[in-house]
Amino acid sequence: MPAQIGGMNMHLEGKVYPPYRLRPDRGLAARMHEGQGLPAPAAVPATYFIFLRGETRGVDLFADLDIPRTKALHAGQRYEWFQPIGWDDEVEVTARIAKLAAKEGKGGKLWFADIEYEYRLLPARTLALREVTRLVKRG
Amino acid sequence: MSPMKPGDVIFDVTRPGASRAQLAAFSLGTEDPNPIHVDEAFAKSAGFPTVLQQGPMTTAHLGAFLAEKFGVRLKSLDVTFTAPVFPGEALRLVAKVESVGAEIVCALAVSKPDGTPSARGTAVIVAAGAAA
Repeated sequence: MPAQIGGMNMHLEGKVYPPYRLRPDRGLAARMHEGQGLPAPAAVPATYFIFLRGETRGVDLFADLDIPRTKALHAGQRYEWFQPIGWDDEVEVTARIAKLAAKEGKGGKLWFADIEYEYRLLPARTLALREVTRLVKRG
Repeated sequence: MSPMKPGDVIFDVTRPGASRAQLAAFSLGTEDPNPIHVDEAFAKSAGFPTVLQQGPMTTAHLGAFLAEKFGVRLKSLDVTFTAPVFPGEALRLVAKVESVGAEIVCALAVSKPDGTPSARGTAVIVAAGAAA
């Protein structure tokens, strides 16, 4: 089986990235809410933790999976909460390329990547949140 | 609060269309480096008529309404984006109860002013009084 089928690096399925650490940032959360037309949040927004924060922290999915930005689409997100995360908490984030698939769409070939992120509260490493994001590459 | 039953509407709200400045703020707030949300020429080079609103903004709207109503009883939120959203397009967000048990399952629907569905999804909430 070839490592790459028409543009996505399929052999990376299962890859686990080195963990990185995050603390919720009130300033970033305020900008997020500003974008939504909401006042600055009192609590950490439910979807504050998002895969995008990994991009400058070593999880460079678009480069690794060979998804040029002009061909990228975001197909969906799933959040599963286990424990609340507060402003003073620090989390360890582990990203895994959970599933890669190629499909024939109405407009041509499409490649799908499901990336799973686990957010664990430090220091106990208690699972607080699981996020799955689905990226699409257009042919 | 009376018990929920299938068909109950949890919310049916409309968020005003987001301006380009709001899209830029959301990109900063989520550390999203994708120029497709802020750079008109780039968006056109990708085949779109203008910049795209972030899909995660739709998720964030849904998450905010659900978290406000249910707090830590909100267990999961699953959203599929089905059409691009452009600046200025208001979004109608509807959550309806689908089933009730130890968990309440809600169907989510998001649509643009012309009725085009832009996202759909499911939320799961722990029923009041049920063990989390």
